[in-house]
Amino acid sequence: MTSTVLKAGGLTKRYGRRTALADCTLTLPAGRVVGLVGPNGAGKTTLLHLAVGLLAPSAGTIEVLGRRPAADADQLARVGFVAQDAPVYAALTVGDHLRLGAHTNPRWDQRLASERVRALRLDPAQKAGRLSGGQRAQLALTLAIAKRPDLLVLDEPVASLDPLARREFLQGLMAFIAEHDASVILSSHLVSDLERVCDHLVVLVDSHVRVAGDVDDLLAAHHRLVAPRAAAAELPPGLEVIEQSHTDRQSTLVVRGDAPADPAVVVEQIGLEDLVLAYLSQGAATPDPVLEVTR
Amino acid sequence: MIWTTWRQLRTQAWVTAVALGALGVALLVSGLSLARSYSSLGLATCGHSCSQAVAAFQAAAGTGLNGVLQTFAGLIVIVVPPLLGVFWGAPLVARELEAGTHRVAWTQSVTRDRWLATKLAVVGASAAGAAGLLSWAVTAWAHHVDTIDAERVAPSVFAARGVVPVAYALFAFVLGVTLGLMIRRTVPAMAATLGIYAALLFTMTQWVRRVLVAPVTLTRALDVEHLGGIGIVPGGTMTIDANTDDLHGWVLSSRVLLPGGQLFHPAVSSTQCGPDTSIDACRQWLTSQHLVQQVLYQPESRFWTLQWHEAGIFAALAVLLAAFCFWWVRRVA
Repeated sequence: MTSTVLKAGGLTKRYGRRTALADCTLTLPAGRVVGLVGPNGAGKTTLLHLAVGLLAPSAGTIEVLGRRPAADADQLARVGFVAQDAPVYAALTVGDHLRLGAHTNPRWDQRLASERVRALRLDPAQKAGRLSGGQRAQLALTLAIAKRPDLLVLDEPVASLDPLARREFLQGLMAFIAEHDASVILSSHLVSDLERVCDHLVVLVDSHVRVAGDVDDLLAAHHRLVAPRAAAAELPPGLEVIEQSHTDRQSTLVVRGDAPADPAVVVEQIGLEDLVLAYLSQGAATPDPVLEVTR
Repeated sequence: MIWTTWRQLRTQAWVTAVALGALGVALLVSGLSLARSYSSLGLATCGHSCSQAVAAFQAAAGTGLNGVLQTFAGLIVIVVPPLLGVFWGAPLVARELEAGTHRVAWTQSVTRDRWLATKLAVVGASAAGAAGLLSWAVTAWAHHVDTIDAERVAPSVFAARGVVPVAYALFAFVLGVTLGLMIRRTVPAMAATLGIYAALLFTMTQWVRRVLVAPVTLTRALDVEHLGGIGIVPGGTMTIDANTDDLHGWVLSSRVLLPGGQLFHPAVSSTQCGPDTSIDACRQWLTSQHLVQQVLYQPESRFWTLQWHEAGIFAALAVLLAAFCFWWVRRVA
């Protein structure tokens, strides 16, 4: 297995005049749970659709597991996908969906699929169109993981779920990750969802990648500084200011780099959510609320 | 993939099978009774020369179940292909695009090309098969009636017999799939399928079929004793309607010409042929003009030639549209 699960170079997708993803260069390591975060319309879905081969790039290159996405049946078999809103065939039953999976995937794991359906207490004879949102998402996830992919791609899997269904979905996902040696990429506009499951993060704003890296590295490299305005104005070079806010006497900054030794500056740890928010507000041209924060 | 396609077609396939089965039973009952009448009236030996037996047979064919089928069987063969296009073709891809399930289908371990190929092949073959079975049953049922009427090339009968319904069904189905793929919404795609199909079939019937194979031109002396009619506008001109009943086929045009080749439409003359002259005097005068009848028609013997030509055209259109679908499906996300 390659150590890189996704490699994009200058990846661009345009729909007519509108650019959905601009010049995206990205390398995602294998064996991780990668969170793709950004406000609605930032290009998350476009990037994921490019990764699973639903879309073809307008420019640039993308390789998933070392090959062009959806290049052939073999490549398709290695990537599992749950689209946004977890579409299922409304007229088919839960059991039909498993049969569909079994008939269209050579690596299909019927035992895994049946066990999951049993554990979720889904009735195999129930029409998928009558499932609740949470059950539908679980069925779609079952279909995607029972094909035993090397990479699982989930587009906003929990966006439309209530908190309980959301927790159950993420638990099911974590159980799968713990048991099988698969890489996962999931997108969300909620950092709190990703915080629980992700160990690698990509922040996408306005169709550009703003920051990407392992969560631990990102947390270690960023600090929140609280300092008198004068001290804040004389920070050492090499410190990248991501976000800053000022009152009359005091400045609060989110910076990337080694924390300064200046005793006048109070260095605080920064949480993942605040870190992401800092990047998002940096990218925002207008002060609109761009990220929904829930707990 | 084949299983998936079948599973999604199941309901429509059952509805179609039950409807065709019921029609099949009716055709069988009626067909057997027609065959009995045909042989008991001795029509097998005298063809359409024995007018009394023919009249008796036609009366039998026009009453009861026979009569109902006489009215509707042909119509059913004509409307089934567009219905297959509308209800099997248009939703095939449009419904997936509308519900977003194409993102499920295209991320299983089946390439998009194979997905489309399987759908087109399985459902297209079923549609062609259903139309073929229907057309075969109706053609067999109508065998004796068609033998006597000898007008299978006439537009009202032609489209409901032989192989053209199969080609129509195939074309209508692929047309539905194509429009569904492009419009991406089921109901508008269904409406567009019906509209375009109807327009194309009308064009074919009205303008193309008559020249698909060069029609036969028959020039013969006008039979004054058996005219279709004489039209006289007092003080105006006179038109003669020549008889074409003895020609078995689809008459495209019939004209009466002077020996020199000019169209015959003389001014009404009260002395030779007019409201006041006797019909015999009129006939005598017409005979003395040495008039010629010129008929342009597709003879009944051309039935299969025309059938294969037209079926070939629609099958070719279906293939072109299918190729277009493979090209277009790559552009869809």
